[in-house]
Amino acid sequence: MEQLATLRGLFKFHSGRVISLGRVMLAITLFLIVMVGRSRPELTQTDPFLVAYALGALVIAAATWKNWWLDARLATLTHGLDMAAFTAIAFSSTATSSPFILFFILPLLSAAVRWSWRETAVTAAVLIALFMIGGYLLSGAEVFDSQRFVLRAANLVILTLLLIWFGVHQRFARTFLRVEDFDSAIREGENPLAQSLGFAMRASQAAGGALIVGAVGEDACDGFVVQGDSGRNFSAERALVRRFQDGGDIALLFDVPAGRALTRQPGGRFHFLASLAALDLVEAQGLGLTKGLIAEVSTGTNHGWLALWDVPDLSTDFLDFGRELAGAVGALLDRFALFDAMEAGAAVRVRLSLARDVHDSIVQFLAGSAIRIEAIKRAASSGAMVESDLDELKRLFVEEQGEIRGFVMALRQHRDLELAEAVAELRALAERLGQQWSVDCRVSADGDEVPIPIRLQLDLQQLLREAVANAVRHGGADRIDVGLSVANDQVELSVVDNGSGFANGKDGRVDAEPWSLKERVERAHGSLKLRSVPGATNVLISLPLKRAAA
Amino acid sequence: MTRVLLVDDHPMIGAALDMLLRGTAYELLGRSRSVGEAGRDIARLKPDLILLDVNLPDGSGLDVLRKVARMRSRPRVILLTAGMDEAQLLAAADLEPQGMVLKTSDPSLLTECIDAVAAGKRWIDPEIADRTRRAQERADSAPALTRRERELIELVRQGLRNRDIAAELGVTEGTVKVYLHAIFDKLQVENRTELALRAAQLISR
Repeated sequence: MEQLATLRGLFKFHSGRVISLGRVMLAITLFLIVMVGRSRPELTQTDPFLVAYALGALVIAAATWKNWWLDARLATLTHGLDMAAFTAIAFSSTATSSPFILFFILPLLSAAVRWSWRETAVTAAVLIALFMIGGYLLSGAEVFDSQRFVLRAANLVILTLLLIWFGVHQRFARTFLRVEDFDSAIREGENPLAQSLGFAMRASQAAGGALIVGAVGEDACDGFVVQGDSGRNFSAERALVRRFQDGGDIALLFDVPAGRALTRQPGGRFHFLASLAALDLVEAQGLGLTKGLIAEVSTGTNHGWLALWDVPDLSTDFLDFGRELAGAVGALLDRFALFDAMEAGAAVRVRLSLARDVHDSIVQFLAGSAIRIEAIKRAASSGAMVESDLDELKRLFVEEQGEIRGFVMALRQHRDLELAEAVAELRALAERLGQQWSVDCRVSADGDEVPIPIRLQLDLQQLLREAVANAVRHGGADRIDVGLSVANDQVELSVVDNGSGFANGKDGRVDAEPWSLKERVERAHGSLKLRSVPGATNVLISLPLKRAAA
Repeated sequence: MTRVLLVDDHPMIGAALDMLLRGTAYELLGRSRSVGEAGRDIARLKPDLILLDVNLPDGSGLDVLRKVARMRSRPRVILLTAGMDEAQLLAAADLEPQGMVLKTSDPSLLTECIDAVAAGKRWIDPEIADRTRRAQERADSAPALTRRERELIELVRQGLRNRDIAAELGVTEGTVKVYLHAIFDKLQVENRTELALRAAQLISR
């Protein structure tokens, strides 16, 4: 298994290496077949070509094995060499065992992998034209087999179509990264830039890296850089990469000491340029960039650069890999931004909701109390007995104090409540409400132990207050049964009372609606069902657990 | 006897006003708890005076005030509120109710207001008058939202990202960001989430 992994490492992200090795193997195999199959040992006129091709293939493989610059630089030359080999073999062999088809596939495959479908199509057109010319020239000879010629020409066209299709799709069919890689990169509470950079460094096995991101259209950026075992935040005032081409996200291999940089044009061709033309060398030096990969990062609102260095075995494939990695980093940053927005949204919702709760309960209670005191004062000044009014007011104050204390305690909680705790609080509230409204109010509960978010608990308490008040005030109920259950990420609150109920249509359908309950349920993104017949009114409220948690 | 209808959903206020008006020249006919109930009760009970809360469960008390203003024999209306934002204050001032009083003011002001309005006068809580004047000054001096800014707020409300908004409006993402920051400053909201949540209210200014 270890050997297999080593072998995989040798060729992963090294399509240039695979092409070179394929060329060497083809050349040597052909040379050996020709030599072994020969009846007499003297040299023929094709032997020097075969030897030169095999040696050339070996030299190219050795020279480009670890050198991405030479691999890109020699790509056109080696392509021409491969096409020449095909032409020579197609011309010099007419036997049924001719291996020319393999020499047709090699340059086509190489064009499809290195460049795009356009280069693949041009290569195929040239090779087929050469084959046709060869056939035409040989047509004067007696041995020409026209039936086999047509069959082979048809094979070449079919192969061409297949490889052009491959050339079209290989530009965007590479998926180096999986969704699991993505999700495992996110840890709550840590610096998004550091996490995204760490993800890119792990995927590329880079020993150093920097991620620089700023607002679109501005040079000033924030960044995070990792050198050795340590990382730090930094700010940059100048753009790291110069804008040297239009269109498409840029990925760039660079070698500052050698003054080289390599990128792909939007069409897929290599673009060679001086590192000075591609990079701001002062910024690059500040980050410690010498050799490595830079790719353009775009998010929903920001733009920046991912730089990776000390990447083992850098190759031209990293131009595509870098672009994909930068896309993944952009998506990760977007995901972090989404989490931030969700947290900010939840905070705003809780703030507005709390403001409303305080307004609806405490402010209204105090305003009402002040009016009551004014009424009592006036009654006292006219000689009326006010002791019972004062007792009633005192009772209301004590109750409200209990409500406020419960409200504040819920807000102080640093964690969600367990279901049992939430039920205990609702039971205590039901007891207070029972005393306040002179009604028998009981709470029962069932369901899995799940955490109840504080926002949801406050909603449940307020809904219970309003449901009990409705049942007593409108229905004259003296018995209220409250049920709480949790299932399928929903909390269900059922309030059944024995009052006369709401105004009814036929079959328990309800014409009037409890507005305050309905409004609060809608704000909590829940649903409310109401069935009411004289003697049995059931308010069934369903609230989502997850929404409250967000 | 002046016949009074209270439109307020909070039981404590209802009970308190019942006590306050007991034994006076005012008869409390009943209490409506929503805009819908208020419409029916006003038609049925034909009160002389309505004590009207602004924030009701199914809508705004200002909607009730608009309906009353269109009635042939219209009752007098006192807006009784625990707090209104600037948009509500300005809308209420336009509708010109006979009285406006804060629930949080000294309750003696409430009785003063009821007596004045019942006597055919107009009575506005000094604090409301002051806040309305300042809100009006701010509204006059604040630059109004442009058509493009209103469009952008609507797109933010729909949950579109900057990139999508830019495509929708035919501008760059950078321009969208500039617009958004200008809107945040103008409307004094902290972020796009708050903008989205308050969009309907902000656009209606």
